[in-house]
Amino acid sequence: MNSLLASWPLLIKGIGMTVFLAAVATVLATALGLVLAGIQLFAWRPLRWLVELYLYVIRGVPLLVMLFAMYYALPYAGIQIDPITGGIAVIGTYFGAFMTEVFRGAVLSVPKGQWEAGRAIGMRTPGILRDVVIAQALRVAGPPYINTLIMVVKATSLVSVIGLADITFVGRQIVERTLEPFIVFGFVALVYFVICYALSRLGRRIEARTSYVH
Amino acid sequence: MSFDVGFLLRTVDAIGEGLRMTVVVAVPALLLSAVWGVPLVMALMSKGKLPSLLARAYIEVVRNTPVLVQMFFIYFGSGMAGFPLPGYVAGLLALVLQNGGYIAEIYRGGIQSISQRQTEAGLALGFMPRATFGLIVLPQAVRKVIPPLSNQGVLIIKDTSLVATISVAEMTFQARLMADRTAAVFEIFFVLALFYLALTTVFSLLMRLVEVRLRVRQ
Repeated sequence: MNSLLASWPLLIKGIGMTVFLAAVATVLATALGLVLAGIQLFAWRPLRWLVELYLYVIRGVPLLVMLFAMYYALPYAGIQIDPITGGIAVIGTYFGAFMTEVFRGAVLSVPKGQWEAGRAIGMRTPGILRDVVIAQALRVAGPPYINTLIMVVKATSLVSVIGLADITFVGRQIVERTLEPFIVFGFVALVYFVICYALSRLGRRIEARTSYVH
Repeated sequence: MSFDVGFLLRTVDAIGEGLRMTVVVAVPALLLSAVWGVPLVMALMSKGKLPSLLARAYIEVVRNTPVLVQMFFIYFGSGMAGFPLPGYVAGLLALVLQNGGYIAEIYRGGIQSISQRQTEAGLALGFMPRATFGLIVLPQAVRKVIPPLSNQGVLIIKDTSLVATISVAEMTFQARLMADRTAAVFEIFFVLALFYLALTTVFSLLMRLVEVRLRVRQ
């Protein structure tokens, strides 16, 4: 216990880094997901293939491999970016693919009849999309969106491997000094648990609020 | 930033060496996670309050904490507790503990997706409750869980890369070793990514085959 109390400034910094990485990566992933889902649903066919290829690659390559590739390869390419920006870019890109699936699935879950009904009462495509389809798709997107958020928070732990001082990295440092892995990693796990469990409760509230009986 | 073909071939050799270890981690991780999900879902859906509560608590804990932290906890923790587990065992254990939780939820979803009327019909026809579940509900549920199981399996295969951090010499570990020694990092990570893509693609295709085989002929 003392080892935790003695290092609390480090721990607070680590938690701050984890929350910061997760938050910025989420914003990036959400924006990317919205754009790519839009392309997949409505754009010119070759563009859709490109997005399809991107989804395929991300689905098959581990995040850790992408982080290492960024960490080792970018300096050789002459690109100097600080590891925090690089880490956020990689995590955001990776989960952008997951978000694309979330948004695309949500829009596709709205029955075709809704489009036809909109057209039948004289609405235009942008109007139907905004007031009929997206309004209903948001309801569907809520729970999987929150699940992806939880995955983002957990995935930020991987940046500890490329030397970013998040809570997992700080935990490893403290363990090296104090040799108390159970207490320290138990505490680190608790930090993630509190964040992720809160998110999943929020997800269930959203689900309960937005689902209605047909 | 140039691509050297000769070096590419040597990279394939080195990472190919790690491929065996990746498979040796991935196959038991996939099978044991699927097995561990069974007692978990049985506890989760049992009528007893305590077993279902314990299973629920377990699943919430393993799903809401990163598998990397679980690995460190087991790997460094076991060493400190006096029975040091090799990285392979600690990594496999963490993968199975977490993914068993995810897979139990997949099983539960599959079973609950089968209409209650199927159970009622079975009982009305005189099947015993156990037979109703085994002969009527379960075969339909199995078909439903194949696609989500396939997705989870792909995630498990990708997560085997994490055991590189507790010094198991699988593909990612070998690639990193090479990247530390040479300057041709593009080739290394390009080849590594291709290997993972190949593994996950083969796995997805196999699961797809299972799905097709289990489909009811109309």
